[in-house]
Amino acid sequence: MAVKRVAAIGLLLAAVAASGCSGDRAAQPAAKAASAPVCKPAQLKGWRALARRIHAPVYCPAWMPDPLDGVIGSRWNNINAVSPDRSYLESWVWQETGPGAAGGELHVNLRAYPGVTKIPTCEDTQVVNGVVRHPKIPCFADPNGRHRAGSIVATEYTVNQGADQWHVLYAWRKGGSLYTISEHVAPPLDYAKVVRNLDRMLRSLVLVRP
Amino acid sequence: MRLTRRQALAGAATGALGAAGVYELVDRLAGSPTRRRAVSRVEPLPAEQHVLGGVAVVEDEGVEVLVPPLHHQIVTARVTAGTSPKALRAARAELEHVLAGLDRSFPATPAGLGMVVAWGPPYFERYVPKPAGRHLPVDRRASGDEGRPVSALLDAVRFPSDPRDVALEENDLAVHLRSDSSDHVAAAAKAIFGGALDGILKATSIRKGFVGGGFGARSSLPKQMAMAAGVPGASLIPDTAQLFLGFTSTQKAALGPPRIVNLETLGLVDLREGYFRHGTTMHVSHIFEDLEAWYLNFDFRERVDTAFRPGQPARPGSQTLRQAAKDVATEASVETAYRRDGAIGHSAAIQTASRLRADHVAEDGTVYRKGTAIPQRVDFNTLDNPFFWSDDPKRDSLSPAPAAGLHFVVLHPTSDDFRRARLAMDGVLPDGTRLRFPPRARGQGFNSVLRATHRQNFLVPPRRHRSFPLAELL
Repeated sequence: MAVKRVAAIGLLLAAVAASGCSGDRAAQPAAKAASAPVCKPAQLKGWRALARRIHAPVYCPAWMPDPLDGVIGSRWNNINAVSPDRSYLESWVWQETGPGAAGGELHVNLRAYPGVTKIPTCEDTQVVNGVVRHPKIPCFADPNGRHRAGSIVATEYTVNQGADQWHVLYAWRKGGSLYTISEHVAPPLDYAKVVRNLDRMLRSLVLVRP
Repeated sequence: MRLTRRQALAGAATGALGAAGVYELVDRLAGSPTRRRAVSRVEPLPAEQHVLGGVAVVEDEGVEVLVPPLHHQIVTARVTAGTSPKALRAARAELEHVLAGLDRSFPATPAGLGMVVAWGPPYFERYVPKPAGRHLPVDRRASGDEGRPVSALLDAVRFPSDPRDVALEENDLAVHLRSDSSDHVAAAAKAIFGGALDGILKATSIRKGFVGGGFGARSSLPKQMAMAAGVPGASLIPDTAQLFLGFTSTQKAALGPPRIVNLETLGLVDLREGYFRHGTTMHVSHIFEDLEAWYLNFDFRERVDTAFRPGQPARPGSQTLRQAAKDVATEASVETAYRRDGAIGHSAAIQTASRLRADHVAEDGTVYRKGTAIPQRVDFNTLDNPFFWSDDPKRDSLSPAPAAGLHFVVLHPTSDDFRRARLAMDGVLPDGTRLRFPPRARGQGFNSVLRATHRQNFLVPPRRHRSFPLAELL
């Protein structure tokens, strides 16, 4: 199981190396008042392309915690991956080293599993007596209540795997597909702040059709 | 009971996010402990300091559970009375006078006051070395293993999973106070350390906390207190959890019967001339608990597996799990789980050292059945970081920011008996089997989210010798 954490750290370090540490403050604040959220053209461009690529609707986040921007292809978008089964992982990472408030990390993932509503299965890695094992486990576990935003009713999962390990993850179903958004619980964020961010991101989602 | 915003702010603000004021919230959150009055009776004081009468037993999830007092406080201290026999005898009389007054004011029940005055190795070495050499009990089992006499009271040690910087303390004494009434605890602390005994005792630390109810689907203290203090991960604690980590720890079958921890009960100890008959030993440590690591990195099934044992039956969301004698793990079953799953359960591993291996008849005729638990946990959750107050904040790395933790207080017949149980928790089993884990490995369960900061062992004398034990023999 320790391997998972190492892998996750490796992923983050790679993202930092690719992204650098200076702040791009272009991300817009949250949805303006009670009006419907609107994705900027720079955001929509990438999400539309993704929707066309997987032949399924996707959700564009109009708001992400600063400096993350929700723009596919931006300096913070460290993973832009589509699998043969059309599921995708879009990831944004910001990390800055330094003591106390000077350091920290923000990491948000958005996923979808077109045509699938079951919680996917992940492969764990355990080393028992020198033997490496890979038992199958649910990728999202420990449901912890629901969060609503518009027509979305998302279930919160607190124990998640793979790129979502140490993240709080919201999952919901729409049109026969499963969608998720998650954020890493790491300084400067704690669990409560991550939930506030996720609630805000959930409210900012804009459905983008192919 | 919900906190108003004003109350929450007051609790958080008083004492810089959690120090002085936050524990006042326990009374407000817990409400009036009327259930205690129904079961409390004034009984003759037992010979043991550590025996508390009138402790309620409830059934939770089909398991019998003891309901410990809500409020807890430990004050550690050093002796300032001087080393002369005359001064120590006078100090003995003065402290006993105060303690006897508290006995008259409060019955030894949760509704009244539980009070234990325990003495550390430094006291016996510095102040009463000669009578201590004659009267301190000797641990027969440890002596046999070591091939030399080993005292029933030992200095604390660092365990394999402890951080290198864990502080091994050298207090002369510790006073553990517990009650459903914070006023009773405060009154006792004030009577002993509030000035009347200046020149005799000087406090070195104050440690406060709570244990919290939640039985019968009621909201419990740990989550509410952690939320009020703004501790990271607080909202992940189950609403009705007795302790921060989400599981009940006071199953009746998991705690030793009241007198099983007495020095004389299990025959582990040579009492010498019997001065300490009806006494016991106590271990006190402070442990930080990483709630976010626990609740975000271990799903419920893993939390059960690592807190109890891999495969322990538990319905989803269960908090109180059976720990009966017939469920007790053995070295073989723990090792099998380790080979199969790469993990050991916290409780299962400890049970290899903490349960009776055969029926035992004590000298008072009490029969203790095979599988009976020996240790008595009297620990409590805390928001101290790591203490509420210290006379040396730098030494103790004191911080005003609240932090989830545990003041782990446990009674064992000898210090070595505690050591054996604690080593088992690290995979060092009583039969010599060593189940190797990297430091803080997930397979060790709780250990991976716990970080001990301080440890010390104490001897709890019988009530008749609780004040400056052995000083009258100087």
